[in-house]
Amino acid sequence: MSDLLSNLWLGFSIAGHPVNLGFCLLGALVGTLVGVLPGVGTVATIAMLLPITFGLDPVGALIMLAGIYYGAQYGGSTTSILVNIPGEATSVVTCLDGHEMAKQGRAGAALAIAAIGSFFAGCVATVLVAALGQPLTRVALEFGPAEYFALMLLGLIFAVVLAKGSVLKSIAMVLAGLLLSTVGSDLDTGAGRMTFGMPELLDGIGFTNVAMGLFGFAEIIRNLEATGSSREVIEGKIKGLMPTRQDLKDSSWPIARGTVLGSILGILPGGGAVVSSFASYTLEKRISKNPRRFGRGAIEGVAGPEAANNAAAQTSFIPLLTLGIPPNAVMALMVGAMTIHGIVPGPQVMTKQPDLFWGMIASMWFGNLMLIIINLPMVGIWVRLLRVPYRILFPSIIVFCCIGIYSIDNSSSDVMIAAIFGILGYWLVKHDFEPAPLVLAFVLGPLMEDNLRRAMLIARGDTSVFITRPISGVLIFISVTLLVLALLPMIRKRREEVFVESEN
Amino acid sequence: MGWRHYMAGEAKSSPANGGNFFLRIRGPRDFYGGLALIVLAAFALWAGSDLAGMHGFSFGPGTTPRLFAWLLMAVGAVIMISGLISDGPPLESYAVRGPALVVCAIVTFAVTIRGFHFTFFGFPVRIPEFGLIVATFLAYMISVLGAREIRWVESLIAGAVMTAFCVVLFRYLLQLPFPLWPAF
Repeated sequence: MSDLLSNLWLGFSIAGHPVNLGFCLLGALVGTLVGVLPGVGTVATIAMLLPITFGLDPVGALIMLAGIYYGAQYGGSTTSILVNIPGEATSVVTCLDGHEMAKQGRAGAALAIAAIGSFFAGCVATVLVAALGQPLTRVALEFGPAEYFALMLLGLIFAVVLAKGSVLKSIAMVLAGLLLSTVGSDLDTGAGRMTFGMPELLDGIGFTNVAMGLFGFAEIIRNLEATGSSREVIEGKIKGLMPTRQDLKDSSWPIARGTVLGSILGILPGGGAVVSSFASYTLEKRISKNPRRFGRGAIEGVAGPEAANNAAAQTSFIPLLTLGIPPNAVMALMVGAMTIHGIVPGPQVMTKQPDLFWGMIASMWFGNLMLIIINLPMVGIWVRLLRVPYRILFPSIIVFCCIGIYSIDNSSSDVMIAAIFGILGYWLVKHDFEPAPLVLAFVLGPLMEDNLRRAMLIARGDTSVFITRPISGVLIFISVTLLVLALLPMIRKRREEVFVESEN
Repeated sequence: MGWRHYMAGEAKSSPANGGNFFLRIRGPRDFYGGLALIVLAAFALWAGSDLAGMHGFSFGPGTTPRLFAWLLMAVGAVIMISGLISDGPPLESYAVRGPALVVCAIVTFAVTIRGFHFTFFGFPVRIPEFGLIVATFLAYMISVLGAREIRWVESLIAGAVMTAFCVVLFRYLLQLPFPLWPAF
């Protein structure tokens, strides 16, 4: 315990350094901006800003990038409540009740509850990351290649189970991601795999190019298709930012439940902020005494999901920092940022770079404090930004993305690869395929292959090693069970459909 | 061979002869989605066919790609078959203008920022270096064309402002080594 306190003290002394506070503020501001603007995602932004962190000190760079991620969770709710367009995928459900509240003249209360919920969740998650860091690191040191492989498999299965839409299609996306990740030099032999003799492909397809294409460019292409969306900003001054005592009472339990739910889903590989906000909304609606209020301005429908997404955004740092496994696409970009600075994510970060580890955790608390100020009293400024029309915004995003990708390696082919993935992303959406599992698999692919090969080599080709080793056996068992549970209803449904057809 | 047959069947079928079980694609979105995955997997198998496989009990460079490709082909086949036998949403129409212009803008940026050489049917093509300012402004204006409504004056001003912003941010504040002006 005293260990934890002294570690946190170290963290706070580093995060409290004026320069790092400045980076934290910058991250929180950019994050809010990204969150507020619909059509600009967190993944694309962090990918765009990677080159900016080249020249920075690693602690400052990572503090800033982390701030963008959780800052976007705050900003996303503002747009959802005031305009009924989710600024981020994580605040889609906030639209349902938040915008209703705004229509009833309670925009101030909704914004305040969203911010308070996020702040509370952020504080709890910060402590959680700090508390779980050390024990999990110890567990991680026990892990061999078989365990790592099993854990990543579990992560991918989670991504499949938690993804929207068809389970089968998510599995296909995972496999496509794994397949794409094998392009490039082989780890052991150095043989070029599926490179067609192109030197550009020898290093593999860059993750930032894939992420920027699938999340940045594809999103823009899709938005251009949408018929001129009218943005009805709630006019007039937002009054009554202070929620009433009743509001606070109504939302205190949803916030607590959302925080717990979000924290758990954030730690799980394959989970994350988007899933947890949906899960929290469903939970609140299910346990509510009067579920019909939901969708008509129920404050619980704002409080729960907003707390959940913020908690998840922060706890998803846990698997990255302790096990070195990125649980979602944003964390995968954080791996990229760490690699640029020569840091290998994993259990050794805590012992070798304690200032980085604890500084980043402590900065999350400062960041949350700044965000509540950025978002509540300054909400008017962000609302004004919403009036920037998309026809000006999207070419700017394209240009910014191009420069961002190009600057990483000074490579024109990287920019073109991102364009190809933009088209691919557009096609995927048209056929109801989710890009998120593909991206996660693409990131985990090389790690999984490496661990699979090593495990097999150590076991001298005996595949039973994954089941006989206890930790890996349990992980594999959970993965298989989850997959079967997810697939069963689908098989049953299909069979019914086929039977119904044949009876006609 | 088989799928051609089904595709031909789709063209002929109409809602009136919906009972025609094997000649109608019930869920075209799934059917073609699965088909594309199979093609991708087959392409990967072909592209990686030169790679060595298992070597005793140690993996060769080709082992995992082939494993993933075969699995992808299997899942793709299940998706395709499910699109054939169970009803699903129709294909969505693809926009052409937006995607084409966005890609065009991105490629323009890629080839103009520092110049680009390639051979086009044996003829060497050489695009000179235009530098950050021209590349950014060109990419901005080409993307503008992809929108449904175009306001020229507004876009020109916004493009110029954005170019200036990028130059200040990337070249001067972040000191990234971009050429600013064209160099022929």
